Amino acid sequence: MGVTCVCQVPVSEGKSVQQTVDILHKKLEQLGAVKQGNFWVDCETYHATGNATGQPSKLLYVMHNSETPLSCMALFEGGPGLSADANFDVLMVKLKSHFQNAKGHKVESRGVRYRYCDFLVKIGTVAMSSSARGISVEVEYCACVIPGDCWNLMKEFMQSFLGSNTPELPTVFTSKAEGLSVPVDCMDTMSQYLELFGRVRKQQVLPGSGVR
Amino acid sequence: MPVTGGAINMMEYLLQGSVLDQSLESLLHRLRGLCDNMEPESFADHELVYLLKGQQGNPFLLRARRSLLHPPAPWHLRYLGQPEVGDKSRLALVRNCVDVSASHGLPEVLNEMGFRMDHEFVAKGQLFRKGGMKVVVSKLSRVLVPGNTENTEPLSLSYLVELSVLAPAGQDTVSEDMRSFAEQLKPLVHLEKIDPKRLM
Repeated sequence: MGVTCVCQVPVSEGKSVQQTVDILHKKLEQLGAVKQGNFWVDCETYHATGNATGQPSKLLYVMHNSETPLSCMALFEGGPGLSADANFDVLMVKLKSHFQNAKGHKVESRGVRYRYCDFLVKIGTVAMSSSARGISVEVEYCACVIPGDCWNLMKEFMQSFLGSNTPELPTVFTSKAEGLSVPVDCMDTMSQYLELFGRVRKQQVLPGSGVR
Repeated sequence: MPVTGGAINMMEYLLQGSVLDQSLESLLHRLRGLCDNMEPESFADHELVYLLKGQQGNPFLLRARRSLLHPPAPWHLRYLGQPEVGDKSRLALVRNCVDVSASHGLPEVLNEMGFRMDHEFVAKGQLFRKGGMKVVVSKLSRVLVPGNTENTEPLSLSYLVELSVLAPAGQDTVSEDMRSFAEQLKPLVHLEKIDPKRLM
C-alpha cells in the first residue's frame, strides 16, 4: 500500500450524486485509467452503555476496507486506534452489553476502483441508511510510503481530474509529531475516511437522494 | 491458529497442572519424546489483564499478551467465556474463546474504551505441539514496577503446565484425546480440570 489521500467531492450543480460520479468516471477513463473491480469502506459506531461518570461516552468506530479484507480497524475520533484481524468483530458481539452498536449510524462508501499507472483511484458513493449522502474520492500512490516525497506528484495527478476540488495535504499527515517523512499505515487512510464520514453525517440530506 | 473470521463458537479445552522447578527437565524430556518432532518453541511473554466494570454483573475480562522476544509482533488479545456448566464428568475445562491479533495501539484503545489494567505478569517457557494439542510449560513472574518487564520475581517455585485444544463447539472427543495424552505424562505431572471459580 502507498500514500493515500481521501477527499469529498461536492455534487455538481443541478446534478444528482450518480451523475456526478459518472462524470468523474468519464474523466478518469479519458485519462486512460482502467477499471479494476469494486471497493467498499464501512464504518460502524459503538457507544459505551452504563457510563458511571455521567459524561457523554466516547464513540468507538469499527471500520472495514475491502483492500484489507481480513482486517478490522477500531478508532476513536482524534484518539488512539488499532488494526486487528476479523475476530475483533466477534469480540464486539461479546461486548454487546457494554458497547451498543448504533445501527442507524453505519456509513459506507462503495464504488469502482480504477488503476492508472502507479495510482489507484476509488470513487465511492457515501451512503447512510441506504440513502446516498455524498461522494468520496480516494487516491493512492502505490509506489511511495512517505507523504513528503510524493505529495506534489499526487496533487498534480488529482488536479487532472478533480480540478478545483483537489484537496490540500491531509491533516492526518501534517499533525504527526514526526512530520511528513514517517511511513504511512492503514490507520492514516481510515482516519481520513472517518473524518469524511463524520462530515457527511452532519450534512443536510441531499435533495432527491432517495430519502423518505 | 489461522484466522478464520466469524468463528464465534471456538471453544478452548483445558487441563492444567504444575511441576516443581527441580522436576522440569524430566518433564521437558518426556514432552520432547511424545510431541511432534520439531524444536520446542521458547517464548517470553508479557500479559496484561484488563477489566471493564459494567453497570451490573461481573466485570468483562480481556487478556492482552505481547512477546518480549519479538517486540514488533502483534499483540494477542484473548477473551475467555464462563466455563461450560453441565456434565461434571466432562474431562476438560471447556470455555468459549475469542482470539484477536491486534496492532500496537491496543493498550491505548482498551483504556479509551474504559478497560483498566487489573494486573500484569511475565510468562517464560516452552511450547510443544501434538497434532491439534498444545502443551505450554511456563514460569510465571510478578512484575514489580508496573510496565517494567526487566524487574520481575517468580511467583512460585514451580512451572505451570497447560494442555489445551482450540476446536469448534460440540467436539466432545477432544477431551478424551487430551485425557489419554495426560495419562502419558503421569507421574511427572498430573493434569486435571481446574475450575477457576474454585480459586476465587
